[in-house]
Amino acid sequence: LNIPNSSICFPRHPWQNVTYAFWLRYPNPFASHVIGADVLERSVDPVTGVLRTTRLLLKSGVLPKWAPKGIVKSPETFVIEESEVDPKTHTMITRTKNLSHARVMQVEETQIVKLSPENPEWTTVRTEARVISRFGWGLTQRIERFGAKRFADNTARVRICDCSFLMFSAWPNLRYF
Amino acid sequence: MSSSIGANCTELKARYDSCFNKWYSEKFLKGSTETECEDLLKEYKACVMTIIKEKQIDKLLAEARKESPFPSSSSTSS
Repeated sequence: LNIPNSSICFPRHPWQNVTYAFWLRYPNPFASHVIGADVLERSVDPVTGVLRTTRLLLKSGVLPKWAPKGIVKSPETFVIEESEVDPKTHTMITRTKNLSHARVMQVEETQIVKLSPENPEWTTVRTEARVISRFGWGLTQRIERFGAKRFADNTARVRICDCSFLMFSAWPNLRYF
Repeated sequence: MSSSIGANCTELKARYDSCFNKWYSEKFLKGSTETECEDLLKEYKACVMTIIKEKQIDKLLAEARKESPFPSSSSTSS
């Protein structure tokens, strides 16, 4: 089973600033769950001029009350983030997924950051997430629904920020564990 | 600036990040494909790799990176 979710946002900031803010988004008070972030690989494709980055993020987290004891050893989660920035087409794509606890719940989040078709000084951010649990014992659906709801809640919080600069502070939304 | 996953790599990370941020905003976004900060990145990455081995997440990482996230990606590394 896989529960797709998506949301779209229109920050009134130029694309360049939005992508720059992406690299600067931690630490911030809206994402205190992110403990650390490290670059593992980074290169510019000599042919296309696209910047590719792989980062490793470490997050703290809390388990839901109904989770069986010992379902995960530690609520800390490592998340891998892959991104591509194409300055020619004004497109940034980021993909994140959790490395730890992937058997319990795997969350894959994609974000596409483009120039707004309405105004070249604005930006469009589309977010999509997939929640997959391979865990047995009749908990799979519950875990997936929990994951999907957390995504919706976090996205709602982001919307309250009215797609301003602040929305990047909660990015990625992966607060699950 | 955020911390590194390994506390003792944070200083190397800070030096690399400030170099990258300057390059990203002043060069890359303005059309340059010439990379800078490579030596700082090398030093910082070496530090992070020792932490990854210590925390025993190297296998998880290798597994996750088998699937290429972008169809256009080749296996180039910096």
